[in-house]
Amino acid sequence: MNTELIILVVEDEPEVLDAIVRDIELFEPTFRIEATQSAEEARELLDEIKEQDNRVALILCDHVLTGESGVDFMTELPDSAPTKGIRKILITGQAGHDDTIKAINKAGLHHYTAKPWKPEELQKVVRDELTQFIINQHLNPLPVMGVLNAGELSDFLRTSSQLTDL
Amino acid sequence: MKSLLKILPLSSIISLAAGVIAFFIPLLVLPDTIAPDLQIACGLFLIAAIYYIAQPVPIYATSLLVMFGAVLTLTTEAPFQPGIDTVQQFEYTDDDVIVLPDGMVYNDAVFTVENGIASKVSVTVLSDVNGKVTVQLPEGREVSTLASDAEYAQRRSTALMAKDIFATMASPIIILFLGGFMLARGAVKYNLDTNLTRILLKPFGEKPSMIMMGLMAITALLSAFMSNTATTAMMMTMIIPIISKVDPKDKFKVGAALSIPVAANIGGMATPIGTPPNAIVIAGLNQRGIDIAFSDWMMLATPVVLILLVVSWVILRFMFKADIKQIKLSVDSIFDTSIKAIGLYLIFGLTVILWITENQHGISSSMVAFFPVTFLSLTTILDKEDIRSLPWEVLWLVAGGIALGLVINQTGLAKFLISLIDWNLFTALLLIFSMAFLALMMSNFLSNTVTAALLVPIGISIGLNTDIAGYNFIIGAIAIGLASSCAMLLPISTPPNAIAISTNLLDTRDMTKFGIVIGIVAIIVLTLASQIYWPLFF
Repeated sequence: MNTELIILVVEDEPEVLDAIVRDIELFEPTFRIEATQSAEEARELLDEIKEQDNRVALILCDHVLTGESGVDFMTELPDSAPTKGIRKILITGQAGHDDTIKAINKAGLHHYTAKPWKPEELQKVVRDELTQFIINQHLNPLPVMGVLNAGELSDFLRTSSQLTDL
Repeated sequence: MKSLLKILPLSSIISLAAGVIAFFIPLLVLPDTIAPDLQIACGLFLIAAIYYIAQPVPIYATSLLVMFGAVLTLTTEAPFQPGIDTVQQFEYTDDDVIVLPDGMVYNDAVFTVENGIASKVSVTVLSDVNGKVTVQLPEGREVSTLASDAEYAQRRSTALMAKDIFATMASPIIILFLGGFMLARGAVKYNLDTNLTRILLKPFGEKPSMIMMGLMAITALLSAFMSNTATTAMMMTMIIPIISKVDPKDKFKVGAALSIPVAANIGGMATPIGTPPNAIVIAGLNQRGIDIAFSDWMMLATPVVLILLVVSWVILRFMFKADIKQIKLSVDSIFDTSIKAIGLYLIFGLTVILWITENQHGISSSMVAFFPVTFLSLTTILDKEDIRSLPWEVLWLVAGGIALGLVINQTGLAKFLISLIDWNLFTALLLIFSMAFLALMMSNFLSNTVTAALLVPIGISIGLNTDIAGYNFIIGAIAIGLASSCAMLLPISTPPNAIAISTNLLDTRDMTKFGIVIGIVAIIVLTLASQIYWPLFF
């Protein structure tokens, strides 16, 4: 019944994948973290997520994946269930100029994080992006306020009629 | 079935079904001696209570269901209204004198029934012995079909019309709230609320206890005119930067975060537009011909508000002692000086002044409320997007509460329910105390407005249908209404509590500890006010 909000991580190197997941662990269990090693695996997971009526709030994607590029994969994510309004973060050490342009213009990238990253920096980026997701999608901010930007979400409550005296 | 369960959890399906069954139970169980309109009203009350309490559907939707049910079954033009049993054979003792069972005569009148519509015929009662009433019809008046239950026929002949039910959605108190909503929307749009907070917080200095006092005073003041929820959300954006300067282990953090919802809940009691339960009280009294002016309400409620605020401040300081000695606030207000913003300040100020001086100029508060509604639109200070974003469902929720009150009074349901209890056991003091306590307990788990909508009509009817010495139903209704705003036990008790808990600045245990104490204090203060202070007015 309750829609789960998911953070999807796509990274082909297992050690790096573990590092990302570990650094953003503090967002669990408010958000469910799903780790995948390829675009193919991520696609299967998206089907499953759609089936269960859950939503992907954020994707953290490496650029260099086996088979296809992270930018290409994010470009094809539709703005409909389960990735409606999804926030996109590219984590990469070696994206060229062209890839970067494509990522911003075509994939609608929201943030570009260079490897290696500092855990606090990644956490801040993830927190900011998830906060934006909640606000843009007009979701109930109360369940997520504790792990996201409480001030910004309070202001959203103040200016929207999300929550009223009943 | 499986796909249905996906949309609706099992608990919702059960409570939805229970509501429907409960609607029909009075019709099946109650004896025929109970009039059919009363049985229907009883069913409506039960389904409303179940849906309001279990909330398988949003509570404003339940309000709409109440109105829909009433329009469909209880109004004079209702397609499914109950019929009226009739008698066609009478015992004549003279040309115009008939002998009838006493149930067929009510207040010196009998009721003829034609096409299911009752109309009154005044008669002269000649004698009334052994359940037989001898009446003389008016000269030249012949009757063929008479209602067998005159009291019921009397009610049907003066039943609510559909437009009376619809009118609850635009009743004066709803217009008053609409005015409040427009002002609040404007205040948020042009940041009047945040700037006022900043400017008002400055004089309170840098001591933590004084800052907390300032936060509470401002929250209470704003929530008296804006929604408690929006005020709490706004204040949270204010205190998060303040609290971030404090050591995470310092209890001041908890106290400050808790002081906001507490002050918002309490502040909402101060004016009629502060919070919806106040509207239920005012509308309920209004149905009995008692008008409470904006300023009168403030006179009645403000002392209670002030006492509760001061007590809360003292308890919060004691329970959550601050280690930090001084907090530097960097709160500069930047007032919007665009023409529209200034227009809003003027309209806001003028409206509030007109509200609190109602007794001096005599213009009713709902009429005054129509001023911001009109002029904020006329000046496009609020545009159509703003108007669309008003919390209309709150107005529907309140309207449904008012309609429920109308129905249970008009059908005599309130009177019937009250007749089930032996009120001689109660003194006025005990009655007010128990009703305030019940309201407090219910509103800790239910919506404050729903609590008021279920209890206020009963509190009023007890006053009108029993003779408990010293019980004034006006005071009873006010005590119930205000007690509904004192629920601070749990995050679910009110939206302001839910916001405070969601910030993770405090945990539920802190809230509950404080909520128990302030709940007890509130009941004592309300009971005392009902004995000492409010009787000065009524």
